[in-house]
Amino acid sequence: MYTEILSRFDKPWLPILALFIFGICFTAYTYWTFKKSNKPVYDSVSMMPLEDGVKHE
Amino acid sequence: MSAQSTTPSSGVGRLEKFSYDDQIVRMFVIATIIWGAVALLLGVTIAFELASWKVNMGLQWITFGRLRPLHTNAAIFAFCGNAIFAGVYYSHQRLLKARLFSDALSRIHFWGWQLIIVSAALTLPFGFTTGKEYAELEWPIDIAITVIWVVFAVNFFGTIFRRRERHIYVAIWFYIATIITVAVLHIVNSLEIPVSLFKSYSLYAGVQDALVQWWYGHNAVAFFLTTPFLGLMYYFVPKAANRPVYSYRLSVIHFWSLVFIYIWAGPHHLLYTTLPEWAQTLGMAFSIALWAPSWGGMINGLMTLRGVWDKVRSEPVLKFMAMSLTFYGMSTFEGPLLSIKSVNAIAHFTDWIPGHVHSGTIGWNYMFISGMLFFLVPKLWNTKLFSKALATAQFWTATIGLVLYIISMWVAGITQSLMWRAIDANGKLVYPNFIETVVKIVPMYWVRAFGGTLVLVSFVLMMYNLFKTMKQGSIGSVEVYEAYSLNESSIEKNATPHRSLEGLPMIFAVLAFLAILVGSAIEIVPSLLSTNYITKLDVVKPYTPLELLGRDIYVREGCYLCHSQTIRPMVHEVLRYGKHSEAAEFVYDHPFQWGSKRTGPDLARVGGKYPNMWHYRHMINPRDVTPQSIMPIYKWLVEQKIDYASLPSKLSAMKALAVPYTDEQIKNGIELAQVQAKEITTDLMNQGVPAAVEDKELVALISYLQRLGKDYGSFKTNN
Repeated sequence: MYTEILSRFDKPWLPILALFIFGICFTAYTYWTFKKSNKPVYDSVSMMPLEDGVKHE
Repeated sequence: MSAQSTTPSSGVGRLEKFSYDDQIVRMFVIATIIWGAVALLLGVTIAFELASWKVNMGLQWITFGRLRPLHTNAAIFAFCGNAIFAGVYYSHQRLLKARLFSDALSRIHFWGWQLIIVSAALTLPFGFTTGKEYAELEWPIDIAITVIWVVFAVNFFGTIFRRRERHIYVAIWFYIATIITVAVLHIVNSLEIPVSLFKSYSLYAGVQDALVQWWYGHNAVAFFLTTPFLGLMYYFVPKAANRPVYSYRLSVIHFWSLVFIYIWAGPHHLLYTTLPEWAQTLGMAFSIALWAPSWGGMINGLMTLRGVWDKVRSEPVLKFMAMSLTFYGMSTFEGPLLSIKSVNAIAHFTDWIPGHVHSGTIGWNYMFISGMLFFLVPKLWNTKLFSKALATAQFWTATIGLVLYIISMWVAGITQSLMWRAIDANGKLVYPNFIETVVKIVPMYWVRAFGGTLVLVSFVLMMYNLFKTMKQGSIGSVEVYEAYSLNESSIEKNATPHRSLEGLPMIFAVLAFLAILVGSAIEIVPSLLSTNYITKLDVVKPYTPLELLGRDIYVREGCYLCHSQTIRPMVHEVLRYGKHSEAAEFVYDHPFQWGSKRTGPDLARVGGKYPNMWHYRHMINPRDVTPQSIMPIYKWLVEQKIDYASLPSKLSAMKALAVPYTDEQIKNGIELAQVQAKEITTDLMNQGVPAAVEDKELVALISYLQRLGKDYGSFKTNN
């Protein structure tokens, strides 16, 4: 089945390249996001929906 | 009120006063409620039409084929669309601490969108349709949608540039992905050649049209019914629970993974068709991969409620949002499951699919919108919710109705599929007569209609509850807020690349665009450019002028919503319908008419299967030739005249789309059509039909139906 699928597609490197790009991006943003030093920042920004802004009295 | 700066201050920017534009949110809220009722009423109407053909009352404007597109457009673009705009405009301003970019653009957006919806309501029942599911609106409305979407985008991004918060919260990322992707999907799928003010032909044909259409169709679900609602979820669930999202870092992973993977999944709508195998496999693989980000988001939403589960019992907002997330989890589990080829072989073309779709649109979208409206209306009208008891009654009515809907469609779908596939020891179909499989599931259609009615009743309860809430409240005076303007001091020092990106909206938007472009380009471009998998068949000829007119009637009546035109390479399908379909058969089909549901049998090779007289009697009263048929009568086809005058422009448009009509054929198109109509009429007259039928639409439709599959191998030649 795989032979047939690949034989009918003349650019098999395309989805492999896409997977490769996704893998690199996924690794990068997962690393940056879960980097220990970012925790306080993300904890802080996660509070944003709870603040409507300061009302002017 | 525009922003005023009052207190210059070095280092932290200037302290500015501003107000939010909540009036536009109120307008979209009211539109959501009105159009939601319309969408559900239409849904219940067509559910009863499927249970009993008599509900149609012989009126052409309310047949299933014409109302179903109106129902889906009303549910997706009118109901969910207005709800998205209400929620986005409310949360966007507060997350950015800025008033919307332009009050004028907001009003143009609102009235333009309502005008588009009214245009849909005024065209679809009259049969003005492109014949492409979820993209049925004709070209002038398509242009209007593009213009209004650009207005929305300018207003949205303009607000970002005026923001007083450096960080762009994750909800806004989902909104950005929605705006960009919907624009790309709509423009690419709507490319068409206009023939007249209300008629056009798709730029693509056959298998390529199918791929583009389902790339659009699936991603309309992804980027209109999912990503904006996930954005709203990341704002309103924490807001309602009064606690931050469970894991903001998970939401980052959720966003990029979902946006990248979702766009690839479209081909799972075309498994076992003539779409190239590699594209089908890619679609299936990425659909299964979608389990991870979908459930990541669902878990993130539900876990946000930890510690407040006691409030879920008593607070309508949380109750509806918890249920919506639960249904989101269930439908995003079922979706990838249905994408697995062996499961899809059973479920595709059956009622299982509408069951799955409604677990998403009612369970996820309607439930979430209910929760959001119960949050917004008391806030915007400065009051409390009129009745929590009524909201609880709505919740249970909707839930029971939806469960009845889903279970009845599971039962109907699996029953019908097993009956289609049943083959006896001699290699013959156990149920060769398609109507046997229809009659068996009609009781489930009644259950579905009853379940849908309960959902409609629940909506009416919500309407009453919300309007009473509005009535007891008041808009009140405009509240003024203050915040510091942004300057360089708000830029985070030594931030990691992704942290920096979170404050750069345009670069962020470009990257989101690239994420959806990768999958789109790899799946679609090779299919559009490559012709090596379509072996040209000389025997496949363009439709004759009369057949082309008949095809337009087929499209107008929405026949593709109940009848497919593609035979899968499966034993039971070949036994029932004839030789399996080949890509080369559809090269002149602008648009393709493969359909996605078999309420009636496949018609790909119906040409020559029955005599002309059979079709004549079938359209006037289907029960004359197929007792117990649930198809409505189409008596107006013997009353309305064939639109011969449109032929030259239609043939010319087709020629512009590379259909090989000669100048001679275009010039003599009307005469050629009339000659063919005469031949069919003579045959009918020999069996007692009056001569007056010669210039009636039914003759054109018969000519088209009798052509289907004949070039490559009609039912008769294969059986």
